[in-house]
Amino acid sequence: MESLNNLMYGFGIALEPMNIVYVFAGVFAGTIIGMLPGLGPISALALMIPITFAMEPSSGLILMAGVYYGAIFGGSSSSILLNAPGVAGTVATSFDGYPMAKQGLAGKALAIAAYASFVGGTISIVFLMLVAPMLSKVAVSFGPAEYFSLMVLGLTAVVSLSDKSLVKGLIAAVIGVMISIMGIDLQTGTERFTFGTAHLLDGIDFLVVALGIFALAEVFYMLLRGGGGKEQPRNAIGSLKLSRSEVREIAPPIARSSVLGFFTGVLPGAGATIGSFLGYSMEKRLAKDGDTFGKGNIKGVAAPEAANNAACTGSFVPLLTLGVPGSGTTAVLLGALLVMGVSPGPAMLVDRPDVFWGVIASMYIGNIFLLVLNLPLIPYIAKILEMPRPLLLALILIFCMVGVYGMSFSVFDLLLLLGFGLVGLGMRLFGFPAAPLILALILGAIMEESMRRALQISGGDWSIFIDKPISMWLLIIAALSLLLPVVKQGMARIRSARA
Amino acid sequence: MTRLNTNQIIALVLAALAVGYLAMAWQIRPFPLPRPIDSDMFPKVLGFTLLGLSLLLFLEKPKAQDIPEELDPEEQAAPLLLKPWSRVIVTTLAIVAYALLLVPVGFVLASVSLVFGLAWYYGYRRHGVNLATSLGVVLTLYLTMTRIMGVYLPTGLLPL
Repeated sequence: MESLNNLMYGFGIALEPMNIVYVFAGVFAGTIIGMLPGLGPISALALMIPITFAMEPSSGLILMAGVYYGAIFGGSSSSILLNAPGVAGTVATSFDGYPMAKQGLAGKALAIAAYASFVGGTISIVFLMLVAPMLSKVAVSFGPAEYFSLMVLGLTAVVSLSDKSLVKGLIAAVIGVMISIMGIDLQTGTERFTFGTAHLLDGIDFLVVALGIFALAEVFYMLLRGGGGKEQPRNAIGSLKLSRSEVREIAPPIARSSVLGFFTGVLPGAGATIGSFLGYSMEKRLAKDGDTFGKGNIKGVAAPEAANNAACTGSFVPLLTLGVPGSGTTAVLLGALLVMGVSPGPAMLVDRPDVFWGVIASMYIGNIFLLVLNLPLIPYIAKILEMPRPLLLALILIFCMVGVYGMSFSVFDLLLLLGFGLVGLGMRLFGFPAAPLILALILGAIMEESMRRALQISGGDWSIFIDKPISMWLLIIAALSLLLPVVKQGMARIRSARA
Repeated sequence: MTRLNTNQIIALVLAALAVGYLAMAWQIRPFPLPRPIDSDMFPKVLGFTLLGLSLLLFLEKPKAQDIPEELDPEEQAAPLLLKPWSRVIVTTLAIVAYALLLVPVGFVLASVSLVFGLAWYYGYRRHGVNLATSLGVVLTLYLTMTRIMGVYLPTGLLPL
């Protein structure tokens, strides 16, 4: 009952006329950005930060949540229409979505994606509403030692679940932490790694790194891979309508994948990509016509779409209740919140209920906008894919520049942005995952602060991290998350050697 | 002597970075009052961790995803200025020039030149559409930032 009252309070905020405009603008802009191959929710959110800078935190986060949803949906559209997933979370959608588009059923695939996203999002919002306050109550008892261990777990989970090398993921995370502690140490006033320049006294703004590593690096990558202009074949969109039997067919997979997706999203590091793959493989196994998956089966579009949207909502749980993002995307969201002066965490539910419940309510509204407005507009929004690539690349560049300069008014930051763009290109070329770096960048300074506060309490005794049971278990899980892939790899090697 | 693979080359660069980082960490001034953990502790832990990870990377065999894919041979055969890597270098130089000229020349002029120039360089030949789009987007951004969001952007040569 209390949750329902709070939700009503949230709706009061989300339904303010300006906030409705923000939800719509966010979902719409997110869809467009997410649709552009290569640009996913992280780039979309990073590009939006300068716009939310001067906003009320609740409105800013409402806009951001809309962008996040929109970008995921936009990514599905380019997966279906072009077989070019804008984000990893929509790769599984392309397995059956693109074959459907090739059969002239793109409209149907897009409609299924939209309905599945809507249901997945809605079911998971109900879970979020129920789980988040409970988790907040537990999290209030967390001290600095538990927080430090939780952040270590968040980082190791993201590293171990990325499809790239474990060592490279850890290197990216360490470098992210290194960047995050540059500037004046707030506890002692000591300068660290400023290279004697006043520009670095406040450290490096996370927006500079996020836009550089993701958006600018993507532009460079497209330039390198012949972004100048090979056109992709396009298919007619066709009808968006679904028959009753089709609705009946996709309903159970959507329900199952929504629940699975939500809980996958809550786990640190898992998120939309793993959620969507799990949803897809679960349905493939359960379906009687599993052999038609990959050839245009509608359940193969519905399951990953419901799961990835539900996972997106699930990933808000650790962000809003613990203040610890579980993925690169929610890390960018946390960065945006910090810029707006809001620190998410267990106290947020009490201190800033307007932000907390406003966001949850706006997710409902965002999902409705996605369905009611975006779906009919898809054939028109898809025209953006026809924009000449050279012009598009030049425009993305200028958006990055304005984003950074508009925040800091510093030419030095523009040059830093370029530097991070080139670093991001190098990371992309040599198989370094970018998400751990951005997550570590956000968590690094807080992690150090928690570690130092814990050690201050214990008088410098490091055993505080294992003396506290929650902290100890979190560290054990973190260690296991790193060891398991190594053990699995070793076992596979032994098995293949025997065979 | 056998040739180093990509992982080993990157590992050596990272190890050098870690050593430099550690050297800087040792130069961090201690806080006058004794504390259980001073400002230099965390950086030292990070430096040694990076050094250890560099060693692990040195020993790790590169997989297919760790080696950059071959560039399109057709694109490689293009004139020097239009080769894939040339595009990256020219764009880098254009961004440096943009950063340096932004304040003296002004946001609108510098940005329109950057968008129009790069789109043209990347191969877009409909100059009218290019100019109209560049001007339209940049002016919209400028007016939104300065008039609605109250963010100052340099006016430079134009009396905007």
